[in-house]
Amino acid sequence: MREQLLALLEEIRPDVEFEKEKKLIDDSILDSFDIISIVQEMNDTFDIEIDVEELVPANFNTIEAMIELIEKLQAEG
Amino acid sequence: MTIISFEFLLFVLAVVLVYYIVPKKKRWIVLLAGSFVFYWLNSKWLVFVLLGTSMTTYLFGLLLQRQNEKNKAVLQSNKELSKEEKKRLKEKQKKKNRRILAAGILLVLGALLFLKYFNFFGDNLNALFSAAGTGWTIPYLKLLLPLGISFYTLQAIAYLVDIYHGKVQADRNPAKFLLFMSFFPQIIQGPIPRHGHLADQLYEGHAFDYRRLCFGAQLMLWGFIKKLVIAERLAIPVNYLFENYRNYSGPIVFFAVALYGLQVYADFSGGMDIARGVAQMLGIELALNFKQPYYSTSIEDFWRRWHITMGSWMKDYVFYPLSLSKAFTNLSRKSRKILGQFVGKRLPAFLAMFIAYFCVGFWHGANWKCIAYGVWNGCFIMSGILLEGVYQKSREICGINESAVTWRLFRMLRTFVIVSFGRFFSRAADLPTALDMFGRTFKHWRDITFITNGTLLKLGLNNANWIVLSLFVIVLLYVDSRHEKGISFREVFARQPLLFRWAIYIAAILLVLIFGIYGPEYNVANFVYEQF
Repeated sequence: MREQLLALLEEIRPDVEFEKEKKLIDDSILDSFDIISIVQEMNDTFDIEIDVEELVPANFNTIEAMIELIEKLQAEG
Repeated sequence: MTIISFEFLLFVLAVVLVYYIVPKKKRWIVLLAGSFVFYWLNSKWLVFVLLGTSMTTYLFGLLLQRQNEKNKAVLQSNKELSKEEKKRLKEKQKKKNRRILAAGILLVLGALLFLKYFNFFGDNLNALFSAAGTGWTIPYLKLLLPLGISFYTLQAIAYLVDIYHGKVQADRNPAKFLLFMSFFPQIIQGPIPRHGHLADQLYEGHAFDYRRLCFGAQLMLWGFIKKLVIAERLAIPVNYLFENYRNYSGPIVFFAVALYGLQVYADFSGGMDIARGVAQMLGIELALNFKQPYYSTSIEDFWRRWHITMGSWMKDYVFYPLSLSKAFTNLSRKSRKILGQFVGKRLPAFLAMFIAYFCVGFWHGANWKCIAYGVWNGCFIMSGILLEGVYQKSREICGINESAVTWRLFRMLRTFVIVSFGRFFSRAADLPTALDMFGRTFKHWRDITFITNGTLLKLGLNNANWIVLSLFVIVLLYVDSRHEKGISFREVFARQPLLFRWAIYIAAILLVLIFGIYGPEYNVANFVYEQF
């Protein structure tokens, strides 16, 4: 899952080192347009439905947080 | 009682004194009483509109909260359901919650739409009826706009949506909720607060803190300098030039709109500093609304630094919900098939962004020029995203060093020019005038001697006033440049000897008294954003 996620993130923002960054949202590295693109790709790739209430910095600040969100939504079905 | 009057200073002094005298647990009552006295003194009976909106929001907040709790209990008691069944149940619950939320938003927004936009829709429909020859007319209503309605309506909607999403708990105490809705430093022109950030700060009693009191007073003083010394002084040539722009060549028309940009910045951010300063004296930290906008390197960056709480409101409550809605997701899927991956993926977000910026413009005023202002900004952001690949390639071909200072300066200048052109729409009397001024900016650029040929001295300010204005604008931009580097003047100032600090206080007060534009012969204008 990590590799898949990393690939889709790097396709959207090739200039960002997703493995290193810990404050992707708090430091405004990702803008709102990036977030929407990422959410769309995550929905399609992992067959989940990320709702607007999940759009909080804590869920998108790091790649680990995004994986956690995907796993949670997959578990919820 | 405007917030730049002597009466307001006395009022703040009284509230601060009483606040720290009464027991901690009762301090929120002082804030509530102060807020309603302030609102009553400014708006008299229109206070009932604020009360109506507040109580409607309060009740719908409770309804949503109760429904959330009920939903949770039902899910807990149905643990044995399969994933699919749970999903269906959640969907059903969400539908019900959505209905309550929609009703609450409609009622709250309805008051704003009616009071602020009724005549706009009426005028435009009348024009349509007349063109169609129907003979129908919608009457023009003399409606009074309650103070701060555009701000507190957004605040109320954010509160309801946040409860719906389970991000905040509804307030049980109606009096406390009234305080959240009416807190006097922010009621006039924001910042637009979020319940999760502000409410508890208001409800808990803060201990007296001398350092915080001083910081608050300093921020207020800086706000007064921005408003009375800079913004009011700038308003004189700006008003003159916008009235008489037909007599001037392109460079002066652009000069007028550039000055107006500075005026709005000093005016609005000055008002914010006064509001945040008053709140800080009471131990309350209001949200930051400005972050050195003149240092923006793109339009998107500008909107992250200018009127931050409104921009983030539009992002969280218009852009994201629309982009992720079922309708927009379906649109994305369909458009990918028809228009290809690149456009298809981006189309829904672009559409959502366009709607968000349309709302930004429409929120600023019930007229077409304000809508044009929003759309102008939105179009530049969208084109920036769409053409990013082209820009990137062009930079590579030209061998531009993106970390060079000159490149950053160029980007800042480019942003300033785009933002300034957009301001024709927000300041001009109407849309045709804005477009006329826009067009005239490109004419007669050979005539750039206006700086030295005495034209400047015929715009309502004499030589001395231009010098004072220039010096203060330089100070304003210098302070911003330090803030941009993360330096806090107040922290540095707090480390200086007492005598030095008081000398600066007195000097700053004298600066406002001597160089401030006010007095019996001069009517200090309302804050630009107060009229929204």
